[in-house]
Amino acid sequence: MINGTVVALSRWQFAMTALYHFLFVPLTLGMTFLLAAMETVYVTTGKQIYRDMAQFWGKLFLINFALGVSTGLTMEFEFGTNWSFYSGFVGDIFGAPLAIEGLMAFFMESTFVGLMAFGWQRLTKVQHLIVTYLVALGSNLSALWILVANGFMQDPQGAKFNPLTMRMELHDFPALLFSPDAQDKFVHTSIAGYVTASVFVLGVSAYYMLHQRHMALAKRSFRMAALFGVLATAGVITLGDALGFVGGHAQPSKLAAMEAMWHTEAPPASFNVAAIPSQREQRNLWTLQIPCVLTPLITHTMTQTVPGVDTLEAQAVQRIKNGIPAVEALKELSGNPNDAQAMAQFDAHQADLGYGFLVQRYAPNQDVALATSGDIAKAARDVIPQVAPIFWSFRVMVAMGLLMLAFFIAAVIFTLRNDAEKHRWLLKLALWMIPVPFVACEMGWLVAELGRQPWTVYQMLPTWMAASSHSVGYMVFSLAGFLLLYSIFIAVEMYLMVKFIRLGPSAHGSESPTRGGGSAGTYAPAAMLK
Amino acid sequence: MKTFWLFLVYLLIALLVIVLGIILGDIGPWYFAWLVGTVMIVLISAAGGALLDTQEDEKQSPRA
Repeated sequence: MINGTVVALSRWQFAMTALYHFLFVPLTLGMTFLLAAMETVYVTTGKQIYRDMAQFWGKLFLINFALGVSTGLTMEFEFGTNWSFYSGFVGDIFGAPLAIEGLMAFFMESTFVGLMAFGWQRLTKVQHLIVTYLVALGSNLSALWILVANGFMQDPQGAKFNPLTMRMELHDFPALLFSPDAQDKFVHTSIAGYVTASVFVLGVSAYYMLHQRHMALAKRSFRMAALFGVLATAGVITLGDALGFVGGHAQPSKLAAMEAMWHTEAPPASFNVAAIPSQREQRNLWTLQIPCVLTPLITHTMTQTVPGVDTLEAQAVQRIKNGIPAVEALKELSGNPNDAQAMAQFDAHQADLGYGFLVQRYAPNQDVALATSGDIAKAARDVIPQVAPIFWSFRVMVAMGLLMLAFFIAAVIFTLRNDAEKHRWLLKLALWMIPVPFVACEMGWLVAELGRQPWTVYQMLPTWMAASSHSVGYMVFSLAGFLLLYSIFIAVEMYLMVKFIRLGPSAHGSESPTRGGGSAGTYAPAAMLK
Repeated sequence: MKTFWLFLVYLLIALLVIVLGIILGDIGPWYFAWLVGTVMIVLISAAGGALLDTQEDEKQSPRA
């Protein structure tokens, strides 16, 4: 059996690298389409200022993109180094979207990002615009395939466990690609990136407006980011609801944790606005509730029951009991693949194979046949993830989302009146808002991935058996190394961003007309820069 | 002739969008929503930028 400390350290390492990586990803996803919007105006109107905008924000995008790529590469290797059992168990399915991501989306994005950065002098306006759109599409397609893979971990669709090869195998690719979880998660994440980029552009533009610098660029960027952001935030909230609806059916244990719902209530159930959940006592020590809100929020009906922790644990006991014969049959089949009786037994119980694995951790000598009712009860309690961090991460994420919606609405009102620069409180608020979407994205990741526990692949493969059998020392050393390296990456990003924001876009403003920018003289940036 | 070819290209794009809409709308409604939504967000944002130019022009050249 793999050392529990090694499993915990493997989880910490992956969580740490993913959370660091996820600081860069949303900005990349959103900035590309914002750049495309700016360049669209440049191509359609021929006004130089929009080219300056696309070049200036493009430079900040490139800094973020480079660091995002470098932090993301390690994660793909971690599947092999730290999660080798998992990689063997689901590699047939999980590998397909990851390979497509690398070969199609990432290659496309990486190829065109070079043309986007260095092609201003070499491509026509329209050609460069197409390249920018391809970068935007590539970066978001990259996210799509990653989230299709992640969607499989949350709600395994399109695969079957083969007892002869002892691994899961892909049998329905469209089911994998179009799984409701993958769809909702991709759109939610992609649009969260749009929101992040909007807040970033809005904040930096507000900084210029506060200091009366680069006003033409700042006002236009502020306007475009405000409109981009308000629509994207509305989309994120809509998709958040859809994700809750889908997740509520596919992952009821995550939902119970998100809502700190220890006991099943008769519908319509109350919504816990705030609570102090106690995992040990399986109850909330304090709650602030709104009656009758949870059921319509989750199920979109007033009559459907939302299962609480007590119901889910009781169901888990039954499923563990049903899963034990599946694990026993698997053991027989590993010795004799032609054992028809074992195969029949496996077929009858394979729906709960994962639950059988869950109790294996507690069974004497990991022999499920020897599992006692006490072992089954322990395993059943495991099906509920850690409630407090999920409950609060979810609330912080939602609160930040609503805060951003209110902020964007205010920004849109003032920018459409063309007097945003007169409202210094709004500009100062815009600066303070910059960290908000990043925190919201991190919280979203925590809800999704902590809520998946105790499973690596939901109801199929428990986390305790998915890790590699490293030593504790190796894991501590590599975790510390990653922590140090990634902290340096963050520091480099912050330094470069601040440096180039302070320098501002002036380097681009007086560029001579080129093949792609022959319209430089059609607009009067100097007049606007008064 | 050029207009005719342009017409054909736009017609093909329209057909492609309709087919994509039918297929994605059926089996991947949220993917479809993302496509449509992203285009809409980009265009509205771009229109907002263009509108600002008009507002600035009006500010600088008051009506007679």
